[in-house]
Amino acid sequence: MEITTTTHDGATVLAPTGRVDTTTAGELELAINQQIEQGNRNILINFTGVTYISSGGLRVLLATAKKLRKDGDHYALCCLSAEVHKVLKLAGFTTIFSIYPSEGEAIARW
Amino acid sequence: MPAGKELLVPLVWQPVLGARGAEIYPIIRKIDTVSSNSYLIRTGHALLLIDPGGLAEQADHLAAVIAECRKERYLPLIVFLTHAHVDHFLALLHCPALSDPATSTIAVHENGAIALERGDRNVTQSAILGMEIAGIEIGLRLFSYAGGLTPGVPVRRTFPSGARISILRDMVCTASGVPTQRERLTFGSGKVLEIYHTPGHSPDSICLRFGRILFIGDLLFAANPGVAGLCGWSQDSLVDSIDTLTPLIDGNEIDVICPGHGRVIAIGTGRTMLRSIRKDAVALRDIQELNTERSQTTAVFAEECLSHVSELFTIMAGRLYYVSYVIEELGETDLVEHLATLIKSDTIDTLLDEFSAFSEDYRSGKQQPIHLALKAAQVIAKIERSFDAAALGRIIDPSLISRASRLIADYTTTLRGFSPPTERQSLAIAPLVANLIRRNSARVCSDEEILASTDDDDEFVQVLLARIGTPPLFLDIEVTFDCPDESLVALVDPDRFCDLVTDLFEDLVGTGAEQIRVTVQQSGSGVVISLDGIGCIKPPMSQDSGFLHRSCHCAGGAFTSGYSDTTRRFGITLELAQ
Repeated sequence: MEITTTTHDGATVLAPTGRVDTTTAGELELAINQQIEQGNRNILINFTGVTYISSGGLRVLLATAKKLRKDGDHYALCCLSAEVHKVLKLAGFTTIFSIYPSEGEAIARW
Repeated sequence: MPAGKELLVPLVWQPVLGARGAEIYPIIRKIDTVSSNSYLIRTGHALLLIDPGGLAEQADHLAAVIAECRKERYLPLIVFLTHAHVDHFLALLHCPALSDPATSTIAVHENGAIALERGDRNVTQSAILGMEIAGIEIGLRLFSYAGGLTPGVPVRRTFPSGARISILRDMVCTASGVPTQRERLTFGSGKVLEIYHTPGHSPDSICLRFGRILFIGDLLFAANPGVAGLCGWSQDSLVDSIDTLTPLIDGNEIDVICPGHGRVIAIGTGRTMLRSIRKDAVALRDIQELNTERSQTTAVFAEECLSHVSELFTIMAGRLYYVSYVIEELGETDLVEHLATLIKSDTIDTLLDEFSAFSEDYRSGKQQPIHLALKAAQVIAKIERSFDAAALGRIIDPSLISRASRLIADYTTTLRGFSPPTERQSLAIAPLVANLIRRNSARVCSDEEILASTDDDDEFVQVLLARIGTPPLFLDIEVTFDCPDESLVALVDPDRFCDLVTDLFEDLVGTGAEQIRVTVQQSGSGVVISLDGIGCIKPPMSQDSGFLHRSCHCAGGAFTSGYSDTTRRFGITLELAQ
């Protein structure tokens, strides 16, 4: 899995590509944790390039939500495909963190 | 390690109990469609090879072991095929040392001999596995129609390989007292190999008994999904064949059963398995033939099924994570640990990843449709053992579990050669749809139920978990229902219709619908149920489309879908009941 990390108006944007599955969920978790350890606590995950998410991937997203609950922390997802959006919505995750159609809209709401 | 009461050790020469002086060298493989097990037996007069398998490396290994045996003195090789399926004999074509008539005599039932000499792609299953085969010369035709054998009178034959075999055909009785033929082969002045004609898996299937070992080819798998219904398969013959073997396996003459695939089995286990197979076989009347066309349509269903099963299980696991997240907030860590035991998410993820990789191979031409269909069955069977359906259904929406279970059952039914069961009834559609909307709008546990449960800790926890784990699907969505004529009655399978409409509601909600409009109206001789989701993300062109058409067909209707200007529209047309 390739994960591109950029900064955008104070937000750290991680953009994974391909499948977030058993093999790659750990890579995503590591990349997110590295950013948090470096003190970057405004995390936006851009799902434009993600075609599939497994339950292991969902667990990583939830674990990140637990880490970013302090005042001033921001955590959101954006640019989800219909398939990934459906899984997150029906699993109930949209009540835990926000989902936006684009990076710009996500950051504008922070 | 001795054979007999102990099971056989792979890749080691070991004595055969009940056949003094004879030794056996087994090659035991994990079960697959590529190659069978092989069993090489050494007597003082000959080498007997039962099923050379389907792989070149297996053939080379056998050839090396045979060459080693012949270092002391030459022994002719007689290759017995338990049946002429490609995974049992293809090694012969890879390795001339195993099939050269000067050193080797190939023995197979008359029906198999005809298929092999013709290079018949259907009977040998090479067509369904996408393979080409050349003809093979057969030295010894077992149970030959024109062999000149008179029951009870032995015939001695000598072959170019130097093998000298005395063949005696006699009669034995099946469990139901029906007489059936057996052939007893004696090599030189030595050991006797008994051969029973046991058609069912294929017309030429045989079982061989040597000492206290019974070699049964693919009889153990003959009633399995993806195996039953293959070209040449016969339900009646399969049941009769098991009856033929019953006196032998119920007596005290056999210790070990050597199958064509997978591990060697002790006789006690084998008896139980054969009884179970007979029961399965009896239930397989009127199944469709498993030919190339059916394996292709089953492979398409396999991909659709696993795609949807994958989505359902990811949602279920995610819902449980969500419940754990909320419960952890409440400090109930013991409960979180319990929740983690209800579904083996990692196992299911790994299985689904495996299938996804297999599916990629299939699409790139590395696997045949039948392989994909069987892989799906294997994955599904393991998924079914990876979650506690009853306990999960008390926490998360039981409809998620029942839909996954129905889909899995439909796939297994299809692979077995049957059509998924449907039950169409004349039913008023408006109440059915209205009930579904109501069910998806209401909380699973009311505030009153929560209050009433507070006196009992366990009940309170259960109600709390269900309340968190099963939020209403239409929690923050406006749903309207319009049905000008509530008396419209259509022909429909109500359970499948409800599953389909629930799938469609979830699709609309999951892709961001802010409002859902449901209408039921008559159109010509049909009743049309329209579901419009407003504010949806553009849906993908996915395999789900095929899945939804199939689901709708099973429910008794025809399916349409469309998307324009953030509105997704699904249509189900049912036949108006007279």
